[in-house]
Amino acid sequence: MIEVAGLKKKFKLTKDHKKNNTDNIDPREDKQFFHSVRDVSFHCNKGEVLGLLGPNGAGKTTTLRMISTALKPDEGTITISGHDIVKKPLVGRKSIGFLSGSTGLYGRLTVKENVEYFARLHGMSKKAVAARCDELFTLLDMHNFIDKRAENLSTGMKQKANIARAVVHHPDVVILDEPTTGLDIMTTQTVINFIRGLKEQGTPVIFSTHHLDEVALLCDRVAVINQGISCFDGTLDEFKQTGQSEELNQAFMNILTESRDV
Amino acid sequence: MFEVFKKELKELLRDRKTLIFVVALPVAVFPLLFAVMAFISSQAALEAEQEVHTYAIINGNYAQEFTDKVFYHKSFALYKGDETFNTVEDLTKAVKAGTIDMGIYLPSDARQTLDNAKQSEWQVVYNDAKAINFLFDRVKELAKEYGDKLRTTKLLSFGVSEQQQAAIIEPIKVVKVDTADKRENLGEKIGGFIPYLLIPLVLMGATYPAIDLGAGEKERGTLETLLLTPITRTQLVLGKFVTLLASSIATTTITVLSMGVWISIAIAFVDLAVVKNAFSSLTVLDLGLIFVLLLPIAAIFSSLALAISIYARTFKEAQNYMAPLSMGVIFPIMVALMPNVELTSKTAFIPVTNVALAIKEIIKGTVDYTLVGLIFLATVIVAGALLTFCVKWFNKEDVLFR
Repeated sequence: MIEVAGLKKKFKLTKDHKKNNTDNIDPREDKQFFHSVRDVSFHCNKGEVLGLLGPNGAGKTTTLRMISTALKPDEGTITISGHDIVKKPLVGRKSIGFLSGSTGLYGRLTVKENVEYFARLHGMSKKAVAARCDELFTLLDMHNFIDKRAENLSTGMKQKANIARAVVHHPDVVILDEPTTGLDIMTTQTVINFIRGLKEQGTPVIFSTHHLDEVALLCDRVAVINQGISCFDGTLDEFKQTGQSEELNQAFMNILTESRDV
Repeated sequence: MFEVFKKELKELLRDRKTLIFVVALPVAVFPLLFAVMAFISSQAALEAEQEVHTYAIINGNYAQEFTDKVFYHKSFALYKGDETFNTVEDLTKAVKAGTIDMGIYLPSDARQTLDNAKQSEWQVVYNDAKAINFLFDRVKELAKEYGDKLRTTKLLSFGVSEQQQAAIIEPIKVVKVDTADKRENLGEKIGGFIPYLLIPLVLMGATYPAIDLGAGEKERGTLETLLLTPITRTQLVLGKFVTLLASSIATTTITVLSMGVWISIAIAFVDLAVVKNAFSSLTVLDLGLIFVLLLPIAAIFSSLALAISIYARTFKEAQNYMAPLSMGVIFPIMVALMPNVELTSKTAFIPVTNVALAIKEIIKGTVDYTLVGLIFLATVIVAGALLTFCVKWFNKEDVLFR
């Protein structure tokens, strides 16, 4: 289980940003800082998929980066299976698998070398690496291109390689930041199948997306962030109820409107 | 750390561009470039030396011996055209028109002036902007020979013996007793240029791969995944740093070895006495010492290049930042080339300049080993401080996620 409570994160404004933004329309900006995440809380239980929603610039990526330990929160806690990963980021990194739409591979390494490299960085033994790689390559049907250099792969092959890289170390939680952005239908389906597989294994998955059809298809829970503040955290059914229809668009719009009014 | 190093090295060795910069350039292109440059410049000098220039002389009969000297000189050919020249203006026009390369004007009273023990002024007309400046020197030399002979004859007629003439013309003769041996002499002349060649190569060996190791990670979108692995940022930086250090040292080693091979080949085919003299006195210990001094320099450059590359968002941005770094490295090397800048306990603490000065001293064979130790220590301290900065830099979120 993963629990996020009261997350806050601000970034220092650059001189250029200060000069160019004298109107100060965004309520998250003060003279010195941009308060990207102001108060975000949600949780995701074992075997659940949580969809993290929000308009562009809402603070989703910053939130996911904090959960993945790439960024350190200014305030708040992130707990994975009882471990406070803000205090112990190295423990967190062992438990987390991360994938985004823009995640790249090392072009001059083969697919196999890419995946093995990350497995070894996670401290896996040679034997364990070989067994896990073989398992993933079979699961994702990758055997026919594992010896190709990553720079020569199609987008679909690259995303499969990225999936394998993200989960090679058996993570307790998987975080996906807009993993289907810019992908074709076939590759999107591969990602969706991968999320389903994780769910069946009982691995909690947090993924941010703009595609509400994916949310309807995969998610058990939904969290909505607007202007750096959590404005919804509940089950998919509770989410639907806020829109008073099966259409998730309506629910999403209602939540955003209510949060602005507040 | 070792895993990061292994992977980075594997990637570097598969990068054709890196291999060209780190291996091909030092092995083939640089020596080839130097050889071509040497060949062109020596050919140009040879051609200029062998070129025959057309000349015309006015009033040559007033100094027949001199006129004959010019006539029989291998570099000069008397103008045999139809034009006639009577004044300096005529000669100037002809040189400008390209009819002749040089004109010599002797005043009509040349002989009389000389006979009366007065100084006679002769004019040499030529184009000084052209690369044929041997002309004036050659004529001057011939005139001097002629003048010397006239002077000797004149003084003999006054009853001054040749021995006495020497004492009158040059009452004090200063004789040089050089304590510097051949090596020291050559070392002083060429020793300053060796670091000028070596140190920028050490830099090049670090900067090119650094762009890929830092900014490249950001541009490819691999940095974030790397940061999420359970290795510390220190291990990550060290892995990348050691890769750059290895690349930098490899470039230097390959360059030195390839230069050695090419110099041996050159000496075997052509009798390059100067090169032979300069390099034959270098011992393996000297070369080892130069190599050891370059190690912390490579560490300094690797740390700087990595810090810059990590800060940059893209390859292009990193390349833009590397250019001032190169300039910043050339400057302290140039300081070491300046006259009167010597290796002292003060200059031993100026990064890069100190190593450049030490290399010069090593080549001269006059190095003070205590100062070398001091330089090594100072450079290691600077390299260590920069590496620490690099690790801290890599921990800063606003650097990693700009």
